[in-house]
Amino acid sequence: MDLVYELIFTVFPYLCLTVFVLGHAYRYVTDRYKWNARSSEFLEKKSLFWGAILFHIGIILTFVGHAGGLLIPQTYYDLFGITGDMHLSIAHWTGEVVGIAALLGCLLLLGRRLFNLRVRAAGTFNDLFTLGALAIVIGTGVYNVFFGRYNVLYSVAPWIRGIVTFSPDPDLMRPVPLSFKIHVTAAWALLGFSPFSRLVHIWSVPVFYFFRRHILFRRRATGGTGAEALSSPAPGGKEG
Amino acid sequence: MKIKAQTAMVLNLDKCIGCHTCSIPCKNVWTTRKGAEYMWFNNVECKPGIGYPKKWENQDVHRGGWQLKNGRLELKAGGRLHKGINIFHNPDLPTIDEYYEPWNYDYESLITSPERKHQPSIRPRSQLTGKHMDLSWGPNWEDDLAGASETAVGDINFRDLDHALYLQFRNVFMFYLPRLCEHCLNPACVASCPSGAMYKREEDGIVLVDQERCRGWRYCVSGCPYKKVYFNWKTGRAEKCIFCYPRVEAGMTTLCAHTCVGRIRYVGLFLYDADRIAEVASAKEDTDVYPAHLDILLDPEDPEVTDRAAAQGMAPNVIDAALRSPVYKLAKAWKLALPLHPEFRTLPMVWYIPPLSPIRDYAEPGQESDLIDRLRIPVRFLANLLTAGDEAPVRLALHRLSAVRHYMRSVRVEGQADEALLQAVGLDRDTTEAVYRLLALARFDERYVLPTTRPDASQLHQFQGRCGFNPDAA
Repeated sequence: MDLVYELIFTVFPYLCLTVFVLGHAYRYVTDRYKWNARSSEFLEKKSLFWGAILFHIGIILTFVGHAGGLLIPQTYYDLFGITGDMHLSIAHWTGEVVGIAALLGCLLLLGRRLFNLRVRAAGTFNDLFTLGALAIVIGTGVYNVFFGRYNVLYSVAPWIRGIVTFSPDPDLMRPVPLSFKIHVTAAWALLGFSPFSRLVHIWSVPVFYFFRRHILFRRRATGGTGAEALSSPAPGGKEG
Repeated sequence: MKIKAQTAMVLNLDKCIGCHTCSIPCKNVWTTRKGAEYMWFNNVECKPGIGYPKKWENQDVHRGGWQLKNGRLELKAGGRLHKGINIFHNPDLPTIDEYYEPWNYDYESLITSPERKHQPSIRPRSQLTGKHMDLSWGPNWEDDLAGASETAVGDINFRDLDHALYLQFRNVFMFYLPRLCEHCLNPACVASCPSGAMYKREEDGIVLVDQERCRGWRYCVSGCPYKKVYFNWKTGRAEKCIFCYPRVEAGMTTLCAHTCVGRIRYVGLFLYDADRIAEVASAKEDTDVYPAHLDILLDPEDPEVTDRAAAQGMAPNVIDAALRSPVYKLAKAWKLALPLHPEFRTLPMVWYIPPLSPIRDYAEPGQESDLIDRLRIPVRFLANLLTAGDEAPVRLALHRLSAVRHYMRSVRVEGQADEALLQAVGLDRDTTEAVYRLLALARFDERYVLPTTRPDASQLHQFQGRCGFNPDAA
């Protein structure tokens, strides 16, 4: 039993995180050509609207909520007079709203990808798999928010902080209900898979666009283009 | 003054016969890949008509290009903040239906069909979904005014004109408009690209998409008022006319120009003052943009210009090509060529010589109005297309074209040079003959004057198979 907990709640998360970090580096170096959002708006934009907006807003706020709730210890919240109960209550209500938004958006996108002929034709199995995995992670998360009735602040949260600070303690996960265990394990798996999916576009959020000048010039012979092209193998695997 | 060179093209609409020969080699070489079937880096439209994609000229619909707001130049679709907010769903992005759903035919079924009473037939099959489809729109759907009585009503160049009058059979007119990327001096696509993947080449001004940096945010597609940046629905990246840069670097002209059977295309260099781009693009009135644009195109025969360009590091062969530039002559020296929709404020660099057309009616003696007003194509329509509605430059160009014809007819047919019409349009005998030569006789090396670019030989082998668009990428 100890070994199983060790494997699932210590080894597996680190495995996923390692793949996550190295995978992104590997993909960026070898496959920058396909590093993009793979938008299908050009083929169908009406039903995309609600799916994409709900999903993106929901998932971004969910991410912020998870980061704030799990990575920052409750003792810090106590300093500001936010008790554990208040924290849970805030997390519960906001979690319900943004979780439902993300899940609804995700299901709309999944439905569109399955049943819109054009989107299906343009998509790949990878796209479908990514959306399906997201639906599972978000779905179990929403289930936990609505029906979980479990205080994660003193079990799951310190466990995650332990992993982040390289002092993992799988025993913290022992009393946690199964649905939470599934949620976190699926989330680690998705994290490990993300470098090989379209999710890499998250890292390309165009922050510099807000600061750069409008018109860009580049020299042909030197600098940018040449050096970048050299750092990756020839597209299609052809060697020079 | 920062002097830069810009590769540019002039198309003589007076000679375009709408054969689409230009589009074919372009298609064959650049856009036969999956996801690119619907793209035509070069296409030929029939005017009046709404074109490809539908109503591309109408920026109330597509919101491309720039606009002046409180005296400040900004992207019509909205600035950086607007793009940030709408990044998940670009409200201005056209869908593939506005271009057309690409299709093909199962030609093989004609051969494999069993023996039947009737001949086998083939149905169009969508290249998106693979399913049979009914065709309701396609490339050149409006060719030779097909369906124009319904679609051409939406042509915005009828502004201030009664389109009902000009779509009547007895008054109808048409001409062809071959279109490609304008390689603008102030490109809205480049300004719209959140990733910074789009850029203008320092040396020749060609606008390109860095395929390794494009993240598929799609704002270039909606930002370009000419709708000449395309979205590859398979790879999720933007693609556009590359002005055949691998050919141009070798001193060869573009495929569309090379294959033009009417010899309507001229390719060459402009020298321009890059410091004044913002000022020109922010000209107060829409009609001020064209004269201001003309003003920053520098005279390569002015030694001050060439000396300064050389001092700033411009290669001698580039300066030499600018000196022999056919496009400079047509656009600035003779003012025959005009930009396409200067009111979009992108400062386009593919210009057009407006077409002459048959004279509609005979004027009674003594009641001769301006010949140009009796042409079948209304001047106002051309002015809306080429000069933001200012008729004067279009009239000058058409008068000059007709004066050159008159003069050459007097020389060739009547055997006696008649210079009567020349003076009124500001041409002298030598210039007229030079115009005639360039428009009618010019050989390959006079129509296409491009400097070669010296490649960096040491790295060449490393780039093998890396230029252009990758056919294997999905």
